Amino acid sequence: MNTKISAFILFGLLALRTLAAAAPAYDFFVCANINRNYVIGSKIVTTNGIFQRDAAGEWQHLGYNDTGISALAFDPRDRNVIYTTGLNGLWRSLDGGKLWRMCNDWTITEARDVAVDPHAPDHVYLALPDGVAFSSDRAQTLVRRENGLPARGKYTQVLQIDRARAGRVLAGCELGVYLTEDAALHWRQVLPTKEMVLDIQQSPHDPLVWLAVTQSAGAWRSVDGGQSWKQLAAVPTTHPLYNITFDVTNAQRLAIGSWGLGALTSEDGGQTWIDRNAGLPAPHRVWRVGVDPTGQLYASVVAETLFVSSDFGRTWKPDSLAGSVVNKFLIQPKSAH
Amino acid sequence: MKRAFTSVLIFSFSALFVAAQPAFEGPPPSTAPVLDPAKRRAEYLARVNEVINWAADGGQAKTDDPAKLDLAMIAAKIVLREDLLGCSQRVINLMSDPGTGPFWMFPTVCIAYLGRDHLSSEALASIRTAWRTTRQLRGDTENHWAMYYISLYLMAELYPNEPAESWYSGKSSSENLAEARSYLIHWMDLATTVGQGEFNPTHYIGEYVIPLQFLANWAKDPVMKKRGAMMLDWLFAELAANTLNGVLRGPNARTDEGSAIERWQAMASYFSWLLFGNTPPTAGYGGWGLYFAPLAANYEVPEVIYRIATDRAGDYLQRDRARVRRFWRYSDELSPPVYKTNYLRRDYAVGSTRGGLMDVIQAHVWDVTWAEADPRGKHNTMFSLHPFSSMWAMESMFVTYPEPMIKAVTFEGKPSYDSPDKIMGSSPYERVCQDLDTVIALYDIPADTRFPHINGFFSKDLVNISEDPSGWIFAQGGKTYLAYRPLAPYHWEKYLHHSSGWAKVRRDLGGRLLVSPHLKNGTIVQAASASEFKDFAAFKAAINALSLTFRLEPTPSVLFTSLRGKKLAFTFDQVPTVDGRAIDYAKWKLFEGPYLNSELNSRKLSITHGKLERVLDFNTLIVTDRIK
Repeated sequence: MNTKISAFILFGLLALRTLAAAAPAYDFFVCANINRNYVIGSKIVTTNGIFQRDAAGEWQHLGYNDTGISALAFDPRDRNVIYTTGLNGLWRSLDGGKLWRMCNDWTITEARDVAVDPHAPDHVYLALPDGVAFSSDRAQTLVRRENGLPARGKYTQVLQIDRARAGRVLAGCELGVYLTEDAALHWRQVLPTKEMVLDIQQSPHDPLVWLAVTQSAGAWRSVDGGQSWKQLAAVPTTHPLYNITFDVTNAQRLAIGSWGLGALTSEDGGQTWIDRNAGLPAPHRVWRVGVDPTGQLYASVVAETLFVSSDFGRTWKPDSLAGSVVNKFLIQPKSAH
Repeated sequence: MKRAFTSVLIFSFSALFVAAQPAFEGPPPSTAPVLDPAKRRAEYLARVNEVINWAADGGQAKTDDPAKLDLAMIAAKIVLREDLLGCSQRVINLMSDPGTGPFWMFPTVCIAYLGRDHLSSEALASIRTAWRTTRQLRGDTENHWAMYYISLYLMAELYPNEPAESWYSGKSSSENLAEARSYLIHWMDLATTVGQGEFNPTHYIGEYVIPLQFLANWAKDPVMKKRGAMMLDWLFAELAANTLNGVLRGPNARTDEGSAIERWQAMASYFSWLLFGNTPPTAGYGGWGLYFAPLAANYEVPEVIYRIATDRAGDYLQRDRARVRRFWRYSDELSPPVYKTNYLRRDYAVGSTRGGLMDVIQAHVWDVTWAEADPRGKHNTMFSLHPFSSMWAMESMFVTYPEPMIKAVTFEGKPSYDSPDKIMGSSPYERVCQDLDTVIALYDIPADTRFPHINGFFSKDLVNISEDPSGWIFAQGGKTYLAYRPLAPYHWEKYLHHSSGWAKVRRDLGGRLLVSPHLKNGTIVQAASASEFKDFAAFKAAINALSLTFRLEPTPSVLFTSLRGKKLAFTFDQVPTVDGRAIDYAKWKLFEGPYLNSELNSRKLSITHGKLERVLDFNTLIVTDRIK
């Protein structure tokens, strides 16, 4: 091989490597429902399910149509293993969405959230209106694991797994935030509330930093892995806060979606918050906010559409998915599969 | 001769016309019981055939265009062996765009079974394919799950030993069968031990009895077959005991505006007509009711149930239990008990629960309903309620955020939920005490409640309404005298009606609402038969002579001696007393009365009328008939 050719090949490889490094290391998904006031028995045509943002910025529908899809998760080892929650409970696909199995029986219904432990990828956690279910075999079988949760008041809206340690999970429930450190065998309350905890998130920049938002008690922050919590004083408690999100591209940027307050953002790690509803339809009914791998901020506005902002909420423009409600934004490390 | 021939022709045409006229357009049937079993059976089968023929002839669509057949029409045509080729093609067309959920599942099960030996293999395969390709929603209510799991059970039996990938659920035939069987037995256990959550539903009775009839006829497993048949009897016995001349009255776990005021306007009336022949069916035989007809000839209406339904010669009191739809959150109990009191007489019936929160949207807590010779179009009822609308209540029962839900349900078939003048729904700020035909409803409404008033429904069909200086309002409905005592000042408003769940415009049907904008409030209603008094004036005098004292502050409280001489003492949120004795709700059975009796948690119901008795024992799956 002559030197010219070698140099050309080397240049080419370097260029490819540079391109690879510049590309986002994450994929971006939403669970979106376009239901048009569908109720059981009606003949209204719906379009729901998982949508993935493609390289061209378009949302591609994956999997199936389910009127009540509320959350999704992937097996970190294999992107073809997909879990979704909905009216029937928990669904799982092992082949990238071609075939699906309803994992639960009649004792489980209307699941709210699903999470897979990255350190024990066979372990699947399921948030339920009446507690928490756990699987050690990729949801082939499910058992209740609720020891430590209250007999009443264990409605569980959200589950977040600590990516830093296996078996460590935080649950957002009717009466507060609960923590397990042994794969849901035991739970203890780490933040009491009088009404629902609606979202919990772990910082992608510091695994000890967690945020939680609630129905009537504002937003909370933990810097010790969820052991203790302190209220974010600058976040109003006047309205329910449906979700909170970090920005994977910037550790200081946070966003909250709220019914009533709309979109709020912080660019100083949560010390101060700014109303970012200019350009969004009134009234301020933001179902979810999300940040994609490039730092674009999204807001799902009820009965409107998805909006996107490239300047973290200072200006907005309509995206697609008209009439949708997004129940979950999910950033997932890119998979080889 | 010529005249005689003309007469014969006229008679024949008249007979044809009468025969062709659907019962829902015909004169009201007699309410007198048919005592001859053979005649009763023949009349029942004639009604069954009427439904099947009507559906096969095009039903509401009045069409013989095969391209417009729906599954109910196809079911009827299969029964009559009509145009099976066209039916097959239409099934294939319909299955190319399958529905999702239990309201699609049970009709397709009906066709899959009825059509086994009659439809083309391609048509049957199209149904089977749809059950593979299209995800079926299970729903979130008791009736959804009954339809869903009976349908899944029967399809899994029809197609046994098929792999997981051949079903939408991703489970094999045996897995689907086991899951469905397990739930159905669990549900029957609940219903026969602590009662249904959706007790006495005006419309949803069809959503139970239609699939149960499928189970009773088509299940291969004799256990499930028997369970299906026994649950049919159980639910029909409840229907029989709670109807007045075939009309189901309150209380109801779930109803709608139409049924709440025009008590006959309910699918329950279709089943009363079909089984007991004592009221007209609703238009189109209740719609879904068409799916009961194809197998109805296989059902023998037990005489004891028939007698209960058609005998209103004597007064009777029935006290039963049921349960509240589950509270997911913000409640100490998942599904608290409901205590129902029902008092039925020839001319009217009075029924109630104890009040409090039941179904947040569609419950109907209490009413007096009077008999009408032809109940169609008649608003034969009187009641009051607190129009409760609350995000918190929504959140407690539904798995969703509460904030959007109030507006959402008004677009989803429950348009009145957030209307101040609504006439449906339960309230946590209402408590009810009933003794025979006396009802005391008390209200203690917090100041920050969305609608700080109560509504009393006054029907267009009441006559002789007078607002007496004593404070009583007197009225007559049918052969029933009614006395209504508001405990706080009020004014009248026009009642505007939602004609359907999706009606955009409200209609003035002539009724009024007594609106009392006071947080501490109450209603007393006393009913009596007109035949008990010399005239209306005598009734008024008798009511005015009754002892009544009450206070509204700090807590509404009433001392009232009823027309029946009972001393009722009732304070909001306290246990009422009758003649000094507290009503001991803890001792209430699942059913207790002259007709239905069941111990709590017994799984055993005794249905009696006179010397007739049928015992449904779900412990042994034995049905025992005896003459006492």
